[in-house]
Amino acid sequence: MQAIRLLPLLFSGWLVLPVHADEAQDLLKRLAQAEQQQSYQGTFVYERNGSFSTHRIWRRVVEGKAREHVLQLDGSAQEILRVDGVTQCVSGILADGVSNLPDSPAHVLDAKKLSAWYDLKVAGTSRVAARVATIVTLTPKDQHRYGIELHIDNETGLPLKSLLLSDKGQLLERFQFTGLNTVDVPTDAMLQPSADCKPLEVSKVKPDAAKPIAWRSDWLPPGFELTSSAARKDAAAKSVVTSLMYDDGLARFSVFIEPLNGTAATDIRTQLGPTVAVSRRLTAPKGDVMVTVVGEIPLGTAERIALSIRSADAPVSK
Amino acid sequence: MSREALQESLSAVMDNEADELELRRVLNAIDDADTRATWSRYQLARAAMHKELLVPHLDISAAVAAAIADEVSPLKAGRGPWRTLGRLAVAASVTVAVLAGVRLYNHDDIAGAQLAQQTPQPANLSVPQVKGPAVLAGYTESNEQANGPMVNGVMQGQAGWQDQRLPGYLRQHAQQAALKGTESALPYARAASLENR
Repeated sequence: MQAIRLLPLLFSGWLVLPVHADEAQDLLKRLAQAEQQQSYQGTFVYERNGSFSTHRIWRRVVEGKAREHVLQLDGSAQEILRVDGVTQCVSGILADGVSNLPDSPAHVLDAKKLSAWYDLKVAGTSRVAARVATIVTLTPKDQHRYGIELHIDNETGLPLKSLLLSDKGQLLERFQFTGLNTVDVPTDAMLQPSADCKPLEVSKVKPDAAKPIAWRSDWLPPGFELTSSAARKDAAAKSVVTSLMYDDGLARFSVFIEPLNGTAATDIRTQLGPTVAVSRRLTAPKGDVMVTVVGEIPLGTAERIALSIRSADAPVSK
Repeated sequence: MSREALQESLSAVMDNEADELELRRVLNAIDDADTRATWSRYQLARAAMHKELLVPHLDISAAVAAAIADEVSPLKAGRGPWRTLGRLAVAASVTVAVLAGVRLYNHDDIAGAQLAQQTPQPANLSVPQVKGPAVLAGYTESNEQANGPMVNGVMQGQAGWQDQRLPGYLRQHAQQAALKGTESALPYARAASLENR
């Protein structure tokens, strides 16, 4: 009898868990929606190992059309203006060597897809930028990505704070609003970039991109998909550099393949806050190349990806 | 355990003349930065003496550890010399276990080796997840070790190519992410922070 009386308790325990996960998913859905629809202005800080900076952001959404202006407040006045997710102009150094891929699809947070690779949980409440927030933790289910702690504004659903954490709980980067105003819609003047903001030319990579990419990876961390690939002439390298970008809906990494043409280069591994870079020399049928993996993923994973890149001509290795 | 004894063991392992206890001693100490540095110096010296080619700062242990952690079949685990080492490690641990269990001789060396083996145990316990077979847990931990020198952003093997090209790739990655018409201002902030140097 005792056991039977305890049964409901047991079942209710099971029921609570999925409810928590659902709540976290709903919050992420709300966040994705808020990021698309909410007008706001605010200041935020960004911190990683060896760097701390402050920024101001203005964002206005009118009839589904978003206009966003971000400006760095300390150091060099770096700036970016986006209209409907398409970058219109960026300031000096940011713009160096960037091509605006015309076909890159808008990136929307997909809570359902994320739950396949992360454990989503509501971990309590907090207060950020004088606003009440709910904490959602995204704990990776494998060792191929980092964990994330999001503090989501209760009133609007906007992310007020975002922490990236290594598997040992070490803080890799912090993004945090210090002030947020969702009442006053930014004016035209606030959304006007300065003269230093250089318009981005849409590069003509399309014909090249249509050509099949001559490289592939024998192994990818589960959940990561190719989101863009390009082969473009790099002025500094004096050769065609192939770049591939992958993401799992949240974390991203890029693979760059550059022909060496006899240049001496040694293998390298480095970490800059949340971003790792692994370079490795690869012997290919058409001459040695340097494979470089850059991304917000753990070092071991980046190394394994770098070791798995193959020329498309090479036979599939077991 | 004394430094000299460890270095002797390292040398013996490198010459393929180590007995199981020496191998075990080296495996237990390989997580230590000094030991790894010594090992890599010995490799360099050996390569020079044998007139072999060697890539000086190549350390694939983290990648191998990640690969091992992922593999289901033990047959596939590991590559190259690590695979052999892994096998030797199994043999070594079995030998140690037998020696510890049976205690054939009350020999000082064995007691010493057992003590040495027990000292690093707490370090092993602090590993958050046990990946792969227990014997290989020591290797997995080398992941952490490999991270050590680089957390400070110190590059290994400073040379021309990466000085010129790597910053460019870091920037390109951050910018592509930031320009992808995306969610928050986070990728933009990442890209901007690369320029603040």
